[in-house]
Amino acid sequence: MEYRIPAGAWAALFLVLIAPATLGQVPTPNVSEEEARIFKLFAAQVQRYLKVQKECAASLPALKPNMKMAQISEHQLALGKKLAAARSGVPQGEIFSAEVTEQFRKIILGVFKGPKSQMARKTIRPDEPSKEVLVRLHVNDMRPDSIPSTTMPPTLLSKLPPLPKDLAYRIIGHALALKDTRAGLIVDFIPHAIP
Amino acid sequence: MLFPNIFTKVRIVLLTVLALAASCPWAGAQELTLPLKPHSVRFAAIGDMGTGNKRQYQTAAKMREWREKFPFEFVIMLGDNIYDGHTPQDFVKKFEKPYQPLLEAGVKFYATLGNHDKPNDRFYQPFNMNGQQYYTYKKGHVRFFALDTTYMNPQQLTWLEKELQNAGTDWIICYFHHALYSSAGFHGSATELRTLLEPLFVKYKVQAVFSGHDHVYERVKPQNGVQYFTEGASGALRVGDLKKSNLTAVGYDQDCSFMLVEIAGDELYFQTISRTGQTIDSGMVQRLPAIERIPVRQE
Repeated sequence: MEYRIPAGAWAALFLVLIAPATLGQVPTPNVSEEEARIFKLFAAQVQRYLKVQKECAASLPALKPNMKMAQISEHQLALGKKLAAARSGVPQGEIFSAEVTEQFRKIILGVFKGPKSQMARKTIRPDEPSKEVLVRLHVNDMRPDSIPSTTMPPTLLSKLPPLPKDLAYRIIGHALALKDTRAGLIVDFIPHAIP
Repeated sequence: MLFPNIFTKVRIVLLTVLALAASCPWAGAQELTLPLKPHSVRFAAIGDMGTGNKRQYQTAAKMREWREKFPFEFVIMLGDNIYDGHTPQDFVKKFEKPYQPLLEAGVKFYATLGNHDKPNDRFYQPFNMNGQQYYTYKKGHVRFFALDTTYMNPQQLTWLEKELQNAGTDWIICYFHHALYSSAGFHGSATELRTLLEPLFVKYKVQAVFSGHDHVYERVKPQNGVQYFTEGASGALRVGDLKKSNLTAVGYDQDCSFMLVEIAGDELYFQTISRTGQTIDSGMVQRLPAIERIPVRQE
């Protein structure tokens, strides 16, 4: 008898791979087998990035709760520089590979063309659109602090694969970016992802 | 001679003005309306303050002044704590200096992050976030939840529900940056967030919610048993942005403001003060008896 691995099992495997222990209680998004396979590819790339991040952070004083802002800024800047050097020449699309990008675009389209699209569009309406337009996106860029974050639509976050601590999705202009929040660094992005 | 000299004339005019002021209806507007009950939980709420501008400093100075009448122990920060630059100097100019007298007096600040704040701000000691993007703490019989609504992912929602289940019979106060109900024109209600958060607030009997984002003050009429406040004008301000609606109980968009809150027993008293010291809103929220608030646990 042929036995098919259920989609939920792939998703669970994905969560085990990507999520630290603290995310153990996170509900698994309902994903198809194909989605789960692609999410797994994405998770593997994320893990590779985290390995580099860990190596870069190892030589720096640890970022701890209850620090002075000067220490936090120093840590962020030093980590960002080390990561940018270690990942020098990494092209856009290393983590968001063609396959991953295609899957993510489908998800994004589902949110921004779906029944709740108006709510999601309202959520991402920027405070200061002019500032977003002025900055072009590059891998390994450290975003200026003066640019506010676009609020992430919770509907979209519920459909994208969960990320480990210190990584976050960001909508920047029409792009979907993966950001290292500890280093303030753009890890990768999908251009023109938001319709 | 009726008026011996010019100084006497000036004195009489001044005394007349003061007497008239004392008899006018808003003469008591600078008076404390909070009851100062023994063992009550006392705090202030500020939002969207981190501009470093004159209005922020003046509002902060007024907070210090009112603390003499109402000795609040801590301040909840509703996000956009620091606008624009995030250098150490910015933190001095936009936080440490304006609130220096309060910090020196031992007043603790508990921050939540807004869209202008940076994730690493959670490590900044005076924000008391303990490195957490979202967190909970208890003061007396009140349980506070500080949420990150700029990044409301499923992990955070799962955490919130679990913590709400364990809140027992405490008062439950949630605060975060984006207002679920707002009559302001610039942002308005965060409807997408509302679809996720409001069912939890109703289910677990959250009594009061404080937010910012829109640079006005608004007290919304209770929605499904929850009292919502927007205090997003403690430094930033959008004069005339409030489009009072059916939601609005009281609104104010003419000047900066901050809130003073006292929770005693089953009553939450609030008083909202403008930058010039005028009371722009005050009142009381009564919670349901504790026995009705114990959530039904699912086995």
